[in-house]
Amino acid sequence: MTTDFVTPARRVAVAVCLVWGLVVGALVVRTWIRAEDALAAQEGRSVAASFGPDFQPTRLPVRTPVAAGRVANVVRTMERQIGPAANRIAESERTLSLGRLWSRYVSVPVKDADEWDVVGAVVLRADWWRGVAIPLAVVLATLLVAATLGRRGVVRASEDVSTPPYFLVADAIATLTVGTTGALVLASRRLTEAAAILPPPSAQVRFDPLSLPMPGTRTLGVLLLGWCFAAACALFLCAWMASPRRSVAERRESATAWSFLAPSGVHLLVFTLGPLLFTAWLSLHPWDLLETSRPFIGLTNYRELLSDPQFWNALRNTALYTLYVPVTMVLALGAAMLLNQPLRGMRVLRAMVFLPTVVSYVAIAMVWQWIYHADYGLLNYLIRLVGGTGVDWLGNPATALVALMIVSAWVQLGYQMIVYLAGLQGIPETLLEAARLDGANAWHRFTQVTWPLLRPVSLYLLVTGIIWSFQVFALVYVMTEGGPARSTDVLVFQIYQQAWEFRRLGYASALSWVLFAILLGLTLLQWRLLNRKVEYAG
Amino acid sequence: MATVRLQQLTRKFPDGSVALAGLTLDIKHGEFLVLVGPSGCGKTTALRLIAGLDAPTSGRIVVGEEDVTDLPPGSRDVAMVFQNYALYPHFTVAENIAFPLKMRRVPAGEQQRQVREVAETLGIGELLARKPAQLSGGQRQRVALARALVRQPAVFLFDEPLSNLDAQVRASTRAELVRLHRQLGATMIFVTHDQVEAMSMAQRMAVLNKGRLEQCAAPLEVYRTPATRFTAQFVGSPSINTFDGTIEGKGSRQLFVGAVQVPVTAPPGSGTLAVRPEHLHIVPPGDGTFPVRVALVEPLGAECIVHALLGDNTEVRVRVPGLPTVATGDTVHLRIDHEAALVFDAEGRLEGRGRRP
Repeated sequence: MTTDFVTPARRVAVAVCLVWGLVVGALVVRTWIRAEDALAAQEGRSVAASFGPDFQPTRLPVRTPVAAGRVANVVRTMERQIGPAANRIAESERTLSLGRLWSRYVSVPVKDADEWDVVGAVVLRADWWRGVAIPLAVVLATLLVAATLGRRGVVRASEDVSTPPYFLVADAIATLTVGTTGALVLASRRLTEAAAILPPPSAQVRFDPLSLPMPGTRTLGVLLLGWCFAAACALFLCAWMASPRRSVAERRESATAWSFLAPSGVHLLVFTLGPLLFTAWLSLHPWDLLETSRPFIGLTNYRELLSDPQFWNALRNTALYTLYVPVTMVLALGAAMLLNQPLRGMRVLRAMVFLPTVVSYVAIAMVWQWIYHADYGLLNYLIRLVGGTGVDWLGNPATALVALMIVSAWVQLGYQMIVYLAGLQGIPETLLEAARLDGANAWHRFTQVTWPLLRPVSLYLLVTGIIWSFQVFALVYVMTEGGPARSTDVLVFQIYQQAWEFRRLGYASALSWVLFAILLGLTLLQWRLLNRKVEYAG
Repeated sequence: MATVRLQQLTRKFPDGSVALAGLTLDIKHGEFLVLVGPSGCGKTTALRLIAGLDAPTSGRIVVGEEDVTDLPPGSRDVAMVFQNYALYPHFTVAENIAFPLKMRRVPAGEQQRQVREVAETLGIGELLARKPAQLSGGQRQRVALARALVRQPAVFLFDEPLSNLDAQVRASTRAELVRLHRQLGATMIFVTHDQVEAMSMAQRMAVLNKGRLEQCAAPLEVYRTPATRFTAQFVGSPSINTFDGTIEGKGSRQLFVGAVQVPVTAPPGSGTLAVRPEHLHIVPPGDGTFPVRVALVEPLGAECIVHALLGDNTEVRVRVPGLPTVATGDTVHLRIDHEAALVFDAEGRLEGRGRRP
């Protein structure tokens, strides 16, 4: 790539960003100051008016804050100067006035009973830093955005790294700051509007800033989100346009790609992300499906869950249940190696082993229920044939979970075998031939060549197998319903039970999120492990 | 002594097709023998049989004094370099090279010493810690070679080891292999479909066609005196010109009659006259010349190849030294070096040569 990474396009983008930030900053500062002054004036008038006709100026040489109200979530303090202290204020200033940026005050004259002589003034002074902090913050944020854009260009030009991690962070920070700026604009605008509809100065009511018609948190939240989104889009577009590697054709190509992705993206948003967020919200509230009010109860559901022995029992059972995965993997690898022989009829055999995987879990559960039946079951029949005594496989807490694990192993064996078979066939034949020439016997060929090369496959099977086994439900539901004595109660079954039998959707949602956290952890683990390099290039 | 004797080696596939039909070949100790032929001729099959990766349907393989036909590959004292190198992707270069030693339970210290030694010989000493995926084609090739070398086998087998390399690396590796052979003095059997490779490297080359041995001789002998019409056509680029016709007359009047007429020494009957492109010359019209129309000129710098058509549209290829002197569409006259012409009988066997009229 060329070293000339400061393309005109990026220069324009950075400049636009800077100008935009400065303008926004100026606007914010202006409106903010105006609104504050308006409020202060109103406050002053109220105070002045409250003194009334029997005003005794000499008795009030006090400096006390009159109001410490909250305006747009900013604590502002004001002080009043009445009586002799007010004499220091020049005549011309004994009215509503705007000072300089760094020392602003508003004075309101206090007149005597016949409204003729000015006997004092109420002066409200804003904190000095108010004039500095906000513009400073805005300028800093803008600089950050500009720097991000510029940095992106440097990174793109210097090395062909698609997305360095700090780059993502920088973008996020930039988006956040731009979003905040936008929110600030919104807030100050609301403030101006509020100031405009203040009660007239003659009103005798004591002014309370809290009574201002400020935007509600919900509206503000929506506005803030919308603004963040718009700002992120704008920023993304800006950076995208400024990036040096994009030809028109490439841009068109990615636009096409996005348009293809859009339908599934929308689907994902509505049917996956939506319910996900809903359960997250639900897990912080109690709900029994009928009640319309769902008060916020914080983490109560989670706290209850952690102290619930049934939850721990289900977690333990689920963890035990996953043990079938490695056992099945060993069997599957053996089966795959047997079925990998180029013999007649192998395809049929493979299909037969694979068959259970495509059959409905409910059907499988019914069949195995019969096999396990204490009196009429096939298994006990066979045991009695050889002289043993039958066991009530599904009715005995000691055997029920193992019985379920055997069914799962039977089902999963075919799938794992097929995956292993694909893995085996992906190993180049010449590697094994080379090993034979190098003097490796069958065992060494397996341990030194085949098994190491199957490692990614094994890892994949192990982790996906565990993830799946954490989601086991149909078998438990049909065969044991969590019994006997909760010995086959697993997490998903408990979620089902809490939600649809006990109608505790909030609690069930909390359970779901715990399960989600476990699965997320496992998935991340899988990524970490699988992304380690194993090269097949010979 | 690492001689390799192949006796009536035959390999048939279950579907009845024959990959190798009774190959008999004696390879001398320390010889560099190249098995060459078009794809499907059985050369790789022969190599795999020698390696022990496949079992022959019939016939014996003798290495030195020992009949190895029924021995597993690891016990044969042969090492093989595969076309795709077959490096173990999960091992480092050092582990790859050490693998045969490890399988033979050589002590670890000794393994390291030998690996280092072989790696230094091949100039890959600084690559030992890398994985095969981090190597270039030429480097992988050296690692595969090192893995074969470290065993110090009696016989080296090469299965088209140069075909995956780009042209420049291939030429240098070719020379290096020859040098290595001279240095080690080991028996090497090299399979290739590239006749240039065969010609440039072989001490003897065995030309295979459809599972049968056509000829086994020194490269220049194969070039000058091909035993069969197939060999004549396979060896040499551009390939030899052939003319079908009959041999007529007796004694000093024997004449090949076809698209061209050449006095020959061969039994009468139908036959094929073959003339290499460098044995045709563009000359002024005169006695014993024939006219052709130039169809295409390929200038190669040092020489050019002229494709021309005879009156009956038979194509002939003429190698002309230097820059092109003729252009497409010209009519020029050609003369044949009579003594260099070859005559094959109807079965394709060499039966005579051209002679001075």
